[in-house]
Amino acid sequence: MRIEKCYFCSGPVYPGHGTMFVRNDCKTFRFCKSKCLKNFKKKRNPRKTRWTKAFRKASGKELTVDNSLEFEKRRNIAVKYQRELWSKTVEAMRKVEGIKRKRQAQFILNRLKKGKLLQKAEDISEVKKNIHLIKAPHAGKAKVMEEKMVQKIQDVEMGDN
Amino acid sequence: MFFSVAVLLDDILFSASSLVLSFPSAVGGPTWSAKMSLYNFKKIMVVPTSKEFIDITLSKTQRKTPTVIHKHYQIHRIRHFYMRKVKFTQQNYHDRLSQILTDFPKLDDIHPFYADLMNVLYDKDHYKLALGQINIAKNLIDNVSKDYVRLMKYGDSLYRCKQLKRAALGRMCTIMKRQKQSLEYLEQVRQHLSRLPTIDPNTRTLLLCGYPNVGKSSFINKVTRADVEVQPYAFTTKSLFVGHMDYKYLRWQVVDTPGILDHPLEERNTIEMQAITALAHLRSAVLYVMDLSEQCGHTLEQQLELFNNIRPLFANKPLLVVANKCDIKKISELTEEGKKIFADLTAEDIPVIETSTLTEEGVMMVKTEACDKLLSHRVDSKMKGKKVHDVLNRLHLAMPAKRDDKPRPPFIPEGAKVGRKTMEVDTPKRKTERDLEMEMGDDYILDLQKYWDLMNQDEKHDVIPEIWEGHNIADYIDPEIMKNLEDLEQEEELKVKAGEYESDEESEDEEMQEIRQLAKQIREKRKLKIVCSKEKDVHGPRMPRTVKKVERKTLEKEMGGLGLDMTDKDDSHYAVNARRSRSVGVLKKRKREVSVVATSRTRSQSASRPPRDQSGVRDPKMAKKAKKLMKSQQKDMNRQGKKGEADRHVFDLKPKHLFSGKRKSGTHDHR
Repeated sequence: MRIEKCYFCSGPVYPGHGTMFVRNDCKTFRFCKSKCLKNFKKKRNPRKTRWTKAFRKASGKELTVDNSLEFEKRRNIAVKYQRELWSKTVEAMRKVEGIKRKRQAQFILNRLKKGKLLQKAEDISEVKKNIHLIKAPHAGKAKVMEEKMVQKIQDVEMGDN
Repeated sequence: MFFSVAVLLDDILFSASSLVLSFPSAVGGPTWSAKMSLYNFKKIMVVPTSKEFIDITLSKTQRKTPTVIHKHYQIHRIRHFYMRKVKFTQQNYHDRLSQILTDFPKLDDIHPFYADLMNVLYDKDHYKLALGQINIAKNLIDNVSKDYVRLMKYGDSLYRCKQLKRAALGRMCTIMKRQKQSLEYLEQVRQHLSRLPTIDPNTRTLLLCGYPNVGKSSFINKVTRADVEVQPYAFTTKSLFVGHMDYKYLRWQVVDTPGILDHPLEERNTIEMQAITALAHLRSAVLYVMDLSEQCGHTLEQQLELFNNIRPLFANKPLLVVANKCDIKKISELTEEGKKIFADLTAEDIPVIETSTLTEEGVMMVKTEACDKLLSHRVDSKMKGKKVHDVLNRLHLAMPAKRDDKPRPPFIPEGAKVGRKTMEVDTPKRKTERDLEMEMGDDYILDLQKYWDLMNQDEKHDVIPEIWEGHNIADYIDPEIMKNLEDLEQEEELKVKAGEYESDEESEDEEMQEIRQLAKQIREKRKLKIVCSKEKDVHGPRMPRTVKKVERKTLEKEMGGLGLDMTDKDDSHYAVNARRSRSVGVLKKRKREVSVVATSRTRSQSASRPPRDQSGVRDPKMAKKAKKLMKSQQKDMNRQGKKGEADRHVFDLKPKHLFSGKRKSGTHDHR
């Protein structure tokens, strides 16, 4: 039993799920659901279909080259079963998975930092331009003006006197 | 050792040379190529009957030559047209007849065995005559065509030319009609010829002869793959049959003949003559078959008589006497005279072998004896010939000389010896799964894991994990995984130390937070405004803002929301104006009411007519009830989405063109 990868969306195809298409040159294509299969039949390029993992990797939205990703790959050398090796591998898998997730998340965060700066600038400009929608320009100034006027009158009176 | 040389010689000399044969019959023919005679007989073209022949040729003429001609054409064109037809017919006849003549074998050109055989079967004279007639017919047709073409040159009208053509064609067809008999005969000859057995007169042959019913066909059935009919009556075999067998890596022919009876040559019938022809022409080993039990209907003496009579035919051929049906009677059980006969034969150096085709004893012996004898005879005759030396010069048998006295026996590996032994002796093999299954019965479980060859034998029956949280464990298996993991973890530590994972968010100062808040509010307000403006009902002309009266309350609310101080604004400008305008407005209105006069009837009527929902209604209670009734009546219509009472439109919810028909080219998303 193994979990295959869908050719189109790179999602997991569990045993008993999905379909497989075998071409005349003996290349097999597995699909996790009919959406992927239909897109494939429409000859769409997964690297250009925005919701697929292939697109995300090809356009640099996700972590592509990393040591933690090198652990999971198909090796062509058969290794005979050894209990300790297998159990160590399962342990290692957990740790590697943790590290991989951390790094993937960090990658995305770094990518989104720029957006935050832009958002900041936009907020500032928005406030500058449209503050009149929530606050009248001289709101709260009336009292100040009054006080000032009072002050002035008093001053004048004082001056007079 | 010698036989291998003999075999080689025989084969090589046969293939390398064209043959000069010596045979008993007096026909001293010219040399011929052996290959020509053998397979042509099957490729002779079908000879049509005379009627068919005429039909074919005439219809061909009609189809393949132009058919349209008119009186008014130029005369040379008309002449050419009809001449063409005559010539075309002549050409056709000529071609077909020539082909027949060339296809049929010339009796002088083929191997004398076949020539004689054909003579016996078809009568040489009749055959030659038929072919001669065909030849004559061909020449006659040529002449007819020549004459009429010459005459056509002087035809001066379409009618004359046409008649000439008719005459020519008619004469040719009459000639062919006269050949009816010859053509029929030739067709029969062709059919029979193609069914003759393909006997190669030059290769190694064993010839079986003897009285009818002695067991020749049974013998050939036993020795070769031939399936000749064996029956208890005489003359079951009516023609020659060939079977092939292998011996010493060579192909041998075995020829079965019909039985021969003992009377002089002139009185023999066709069937016997075939046997005689075979005997006469084929260079073979002769197996004279005798019936010891005399079940064939002839005594031993008669058989001996026949043997002596046809003895001359056996000259120069290795001879063998086969004493058949020995399961019924053996030579030792014979009478004195019988034994004497065989003793004589053996004395003359003719091997006598007892056989029984029923029990198959002696059959193999006969075969080997006959084949050996024939081989040696052939080799001898070839050695005496001239061509031998060419071949012998090329042959060399190498005999390695011994260099020392060390014995060098053939090497047989141990495994082969053991294998052979186990094959001979029924040793018990190792226990198979099936045996185990039979033993354990119901609690047998097929456990292939026990055969696994692992480093640690007690791990064989482990349950191996394959998947963990959506990942295949097999993808991670690597003998160096621990090392790689350590490297990775170190890298990770370094990264953490370098501060890559620290969330960079500078705690924003209050100002930024305030700005954010304000921006959010602004955006919300904007959205609201947009929504409000979209909800506005813009039927009718666009009126300026001043037409719509602004309520004091809404103004104060709005301005208050924007942050201005709107408390206690009684003496503000707008409030004062409002008070002032009201008083004026009221007065004005009152004045108006007094002075106005109804100008037309409609105005007065509309003024005095009460609105429909108030007319006839006594009190508010009734009005309420009436309104309720109205609403309840409208409920149904509203629920069905109808515009009103008069809306009786029936919607077509399942239109036929979207729900019927085959799914041909097109998508499955929509029809």
